[in-house]
Amino acid sequence: MYRYKIIGVALFLCSTGLCAGAPSVSGTVTGADGRAIADAVVFVQGPPEDADRPRRPQMVDQVDKTFVPGLLPIVVGTSVRFPNHDQIHHHVYSFSPAKTFELPLYKGEEAPAVLFDKVGVVKIGCNIHDWMSGIILVLPTPHFAVTDGQGHFVLEDLPAGTYSLAAWHSLSKVKPEDTVQSVAVGAEAARVSFRLPLSVARTRPGVHGARAQP
Amino acid sequence: MSWWNGLSLRSKVFLAFSGLILAVLLATLGFTQLVVGRDARQTLSRDLRTTGQVFATLMQERATRLQTNASLLASDFALKRLFATHFDPASYDAETLVSAGLSYRQRSGVQLVWMMDETGKLLAASPASDRLGKSLSDWLPLRQAMENEAPATGVVELDGELFQMVAVPVLGPDVIGYLVLGQVIDDRVAARLRDDTRSEVTFLTASRVFATSWPASRRAGLPSPTTYLATVLKSGAPNDPDLLNIGGERFLTLAVPIAAQLSEPLYALIQGSFDAALTPLRSLQTRIAFIGAAALAGALAAGVILAGGITGPVRTLVGAMREVLQGNLRHRARVDRSDELGFLARSFNEMVAGLQDREQIKDTFGRFVSRDVAAAVLGGHVPLDGERREVTILFQDIRGFTGLAEKLDPVALLRVLNRFFTEVVAAVEAEGGVVKQFTGDGVMALFGVPQIRSDHTERGVRAALGIVERLASLNKALQNDAVPSLQIGIGIHVGEVVAGLIGPDSRVEYGVVGEPVNLAARIEGLTKDLTAIILVSRSIAARLGPEFVLGRTALLPVKGKSQPVEVVEVLARTPVHTAA
Repeated sequence: MYRYKIIGVALFLCSTGLCAGAPSVSGTVTGADGRAIADAVVFVQGPPEDADRPRRPQMVDQVDKTFVPGLLPIVVGTSVRFPNHDQIHHHVYSFSPAKTFELPLYKGEEAPAVLFDKVGVVKIGCNIHDWMSGIILVLPTPHFAVTDGQGHFVLEDLPAGTYSLAAWHSLSKVKPEDTVQSVAVGAEAARVSFRLPLSVARTRPGVHGARAQP
Repeated sequence: MSWWNGLSLRSKVFLAFSGLILAVLLATLGFTQLVVGRDARQTLSRDLRTTGQVFATLMQERATRLQTNASLLASDFALKRLFATHFDPASYDAETLVSAGLSYRQRSGVQLVWMMDETGKLLAASPASDRLGKSLSDWLPLRQAMENEAPATGVVELDGELFQMVAVPVLGPDVIGYLVLGQVIDDRVAARLRDDTRSEVTFLTASRVFATSWPASRRAGLPSPTTYLATVLKSGAPNDPDLLNIGGERFLTLAVPIAAQLSEPLYALIQGSFDAALTPLRSLQTRIAFIGAAALAGALAAGVILAGGITGPVRTLVGAMREVLQGNLRHRARVDRSDELGFLARSFNEMVAGLQDREQIKDTFGRFVSRDVAAAVLGGHVPLDGERREVTILFQDIRGFTGLAEKLDPVALLRVLNRFFTEVVAAVEAEGGVVKQFTGDGVMALFGVPQIRSDHTERGVRAALGIVERLASLNKALQNDAVPSLQIGIGIHVGEVVAGLIGPDSRVEYGVVGEPVNLAARIEGLTKDLTAIILVSRSIAARLGPEFVLGRTALLPVKGKSQPVEVVEVLARTPVHTAA
């Protein structure tokens, strides 16, 4: 929510000509039916950055038996902490090939940070609570943005040049590499639109949290 | 119905009473049989339908239990970890997965455990399967589970056996594979269901029987699956159990459709023995029949007693009537009852007593007056104030009676007279006449009173000839007794007289009064003068038919008459010869 506010302020400043940053790329992500898609991630494709380069650690909290945020895009080489702010134990795990890990039963801040050193989708869950589900999207570059409720995204601080932009969504029927668009970034802000056909969201009995709210 | 009319009253009452009781009894038995039999079938059918519902619930519960077991197993973190190894060929451990399948098979008591990856490819199977490595994503219920990413159950045929299957997704936290458990539906399952539902259970399609609870010894008597199903389903009323004969025993059969992924519909036949269920009813029927037979015997005995009670007095009355018919007026019906039959018997006895009194009076009366007169008087046919009637009057007298009286002693004389008068009375009464009075040695007789007879004149003359004839016989008898023959004279006249009861109230007698009476007496007196036996007046002679042989005719003066009276002698009567 905090991030949305920042984006909102940035958009406001740019629209009034007060945008002081480098040229950026903005655009929308819509579904096959033209409806705006929220929580889609638009990112710059490219060779993965050095995983050993120090990155600012990120965090996926566990509040009220839910992963917060449900979707966390990070650049490869980022460490993520999984603090547990519930009064009960959680057992966070992932079987995803991009990162298989397990944080056995713990409370509070006990669990060590997990380094995500491979690009890909990491689906996390809790062994105790089947409905707890979250996604950590490990991206090759630090240039990415998440669409807001209107499907808008803004990529800032991109140096002038030509980039390959891709879009990802948890329900997308197409792979990100099949969505790639080339965009030239110069003095003027560039605009890019993505159209992602989505599969129907399923609600499994007993499953709550981010999975139920794509 | 002539046979019925020919039966005695006792038999009729007995037959009617017994027949009525028997009819009511049979109707009761029949009605009981009908109603109880129908109720029994309805109750059994209802029970079987309930059993069918219970069976469906049991099948559903089995599926639910299977699904619960599968879901619990799929939640096992170790299993999830094992499943996840297939994402990385380097760490994939197929053997451990197969052994885990065997362990889960034993743990959950199922006969089949399959493990698939998220695309439906079979990773591991216990027991071993040649489908390993193949995609079964088109195979129900896996396809359904994959479509919905949710548990799905179904009944399928697998290698010739019937399986209840469940496929559940393995979540980690998204679907990382599917776990399939299968429970075989075989004869043991059917037998357990039979124990639970107390009905024989058979799983079959039109082409084969998959499982049955029937013991092996009775399976030979079962119809083929095709016939079986066709018979049960042809009624078109799935909720109305059919009656099937299996090995001589009737079974109510209900076909419960089972949702299955087979090439033809699968049914579970639920069968309850109708005959076994009717056993208590049979016992009841036997008891009812026994009670009915006892009631019938009692009713027959009651019929005999009742028939005797009703007809006994009637038979006594009939016997009494026969006695009275035969003239025994002293007989009385002995019926000691206060009901209608008692009243009838008392009335009958009073009636017979009245008849007896009347007959007694008549007898007594008849000895002093003529029987006809007595009957007329008792019958109320004689008017108290007299009536004008034409009558024939006959006077008879014995000639030379004085001389006879001198020859015979009084007793002998009276005896002779009585013998003579007996003949006279017989001759007069033979012609319907009435001997009005005896005048010492003579008789006065009337014809035409009190009973009206149109031929009273001829009757009178025939009576006179009869007297003469009888006298001839009597005289022969008297000669044998050395008694002198009797000589008589008879005078007959016809005329109108007053007939009625004559005399004071204290002593009345029936008689006639009038001139013709005197003239008849005078004519009788003339017989001595003419030495004739029978003399009649001309008015008599004029009425006689040709068969009467008349003799002399004379015109004689009569005392008290200014004119001579013509009299005619009657000689005989010959048989009438009708003209040929």
